[in-house]
Amino acid sequence: MEAGPRTGALSLNTQTEKRTGAGTGQTTLVARGLKKSYADFEAVKGVDFEVHRGECFGFLGPNGAGKTTTMKMIYAAAVPTSGELEVAGLDVRSAEREVKRRIGVVPQENNLDEDLKVKENLLVYGRYFDLPRKLVRQRAEELLEFVQLSDKAGAKVEQLSGGMKRRLLIARALINDPDLVVLDEPTTGLDPQARHLVWDKLRQLTGEGKTLILTTHYMDEAAQLCDRLCIMENGRIIAEDAPRALISEHVSPEVLEFRAAPEALEKLPSIVEDVADDVDRIGEALLVYTSDSEAVTRKVRESGVEVRNTLHRQASLEDVFLKLTGRRLVD
Amino acid sequence: MGGVRLPSPRGAFRVWQRNATIFRKYWKTILLPNLFEPLLYLVALGLGLGAFIREGGINGLTYTQYIAPGLLASNAMFAASFESTFNTFIRLKIGRIYDAIVSTPVNAEDVVAGEYLWAGTRAALYGTAFLGVLTALGLVSEAPLISSPWALLIPPVLLVVGIMFSVMGTLFTSLISSIDFYAYYFTLVVTPLFLFSGIFFPIEDFPSPVPEIAWFTPLYHAVNVCRALATGPSLGVLVDIAWILVFTAALSLLPIRFMRKRLIS
Ligand SMILES: Nc1ncnc2c1ncn2[C@@H]1O[C@H](COP(=O)(O)OP(=O)(O)OP(=O)(O)O)[C@@H](O)[C@H]1O
Ligand SMILES: [Mg+2]
Repeated sequence: MEAGPRTGALSLNTQTEKRTGAGTGQTTLVARGLKKSYADFEAVKGVDFEVHRGECFGFLGPNGAGKTTTMKMIYAAAVPTSGELEVAGLDVRSAEREVKRRIGVVPQENNLDEDLKVKENLLVYGRYFDLPRKLVRQRAEELLEFVQLSDKAGAKVEQLSGGMKRRLLIARALINDPDLVVLDEPTTGLDPQARHLVWDKLRQLTGEGKTLILTTHYMDEAAQLCDRLCIMENGRIIAEDAPRALISEHVSPEVLEFRAAPEALEKLPSIVEDVADDVDRIGEALLVYTSDSEAVTRKVRESGVEVRNTLHRQASLEDVFLKLTGRRLVD
Repeated sequence: MGGVRLPSPRGAFRVWQRNATIFRKYWKTILLPNLFEPLLYLVALGLGLGAFIREGGINGLTYTQYIAPGLLASNAMFAASFESTFNTFIRLKIGRIYDAIVSTPVNAEDVVAGEYLWAGTRAALYGTAFLGVLTALGLVSEAPLISSPWALLIPPVLLVVGIMFSVMGTLFTSLISSIDFYAYYFTLVVTPLFLFSGIFFPIEDFPSPVPEIAWFTPLYHAVNVCRALATGPSLGVLVDIAWILVFTAALSLLPIRFMRKRLIS
């Protein structure tokens, strides 16, 4: 099967330039040489990044890369071992309460208050911010509407599905009308509809000038939502840029995925060597990165190696991720 | 980050308020067993054992009169101990309630202080209900169980006693990794205190060093204060109250320090 470029599989965030906030250039979060050690293990080994007002900044990276640890330092649930971390010009360590007052947090692990009903979760949470009762009531209604949980207002938290709990967490994170929202894997466990709903809501938030920091394992989510993103590995940031720029910087524009018997896959790298920029073996498939896909297909066809299945597509963020976080076969 | 951070009263109040919001929903369903427990002791020991206690009772009190105020103090100890052990542990490790709270302007130290206050409140609420029952029982029996108007001060004393036992329970909670460890706390701390703090027999009559040891334990002083207020106090009560306040204040910052370490990595 020979297919044309599969566009749209990962539609990129093309609105970046149009966003209201993304271009303000005002810095709202600065991390410099930020490190975090747990006992004898260094989870974050010195990261630097800046996030601007109204921007959505993403963190990608394999499990254990240090994303959650970095998020926790931002909302003062983890104390940096060294380095600087400022939110809205305030040092997170010395102005802990003030920083937390301005931040909304969606943690990786659900921690809704199961002793309280759905709406009560928002009302009680609002009290932690010393917000006037009336204001909290009004916001709670609006936020339940926003995440489409109004009809569950009186339900017990344990009666919510996993995705509904995630949405309630997002609503809870917004109860203090934060300037900065930290979202640690906000859509993990959501069905496609719910994910799209959450994406819409998050876009709405950046539209309102809120700054978002998000971690995710979904490349399409990162590509869709993030103005800029970084890839973390082993406690370090190994790449940082706008999604499209990352793709053009790190991988060739086109990718051919060949599926074949293992012996056949073994032979392919040397066959395409001259016309491929890079070759990756991922499980049962061989990924060939190139700017001349026709030349590659021609070479393969001429070699007579039996290929079961070929897929031709544009390079995506996933390719960047896989390339940068290891698994390379040939350089 | 050396040194202990002092809690903010406002933050502590928010945590107290969260617990009160939940308690308000089901207090009626749990009040009964909490009243029943001390009543069982009162009836079984006061009437049962009391029948064998010679004419004249203890220090001029009937046996029931003697143990009733002590049970007020031990009831406060149990209420605050359960709150600061099992309930706090569940909020800490299972419900992850505190993780959510400390990402708001409420800090870890406020959480602990709020829990102290809440445990004290609960102890005072149960204690007030039990005090009401004791007063009523006294009206229908020939000898009043609560005979002094000073007894009106018992609820605030139970609040402080509750805070004291909450500090102790929270200290233990802040150190353990599994809920099973509470067996040690209750067997080695709470139960011995219950039995040897002068609730059921005067500890002062024991040979030395038993009374001296008792003097260094918290429930002993709480029992002294409650008995004195129920029957008409002497100035000696001030020593017991001072003991409770100093002990509580001295210990209170330790759990705050340890809990902060558990909540903020
Ligand atoms: N409280 C802790 N004590 C000790 N080590 C920890 C602690 N929390 C995290 N770590 C370690 O720090 C490293 C980074 O963890 P972190 O949770 O930040 O990863 P992550 O990038 O969020 O991963 P994931 O994608 O799986 O969520 C891991 O090796 C983890 O084992
Ligand atoms: Mg994580």
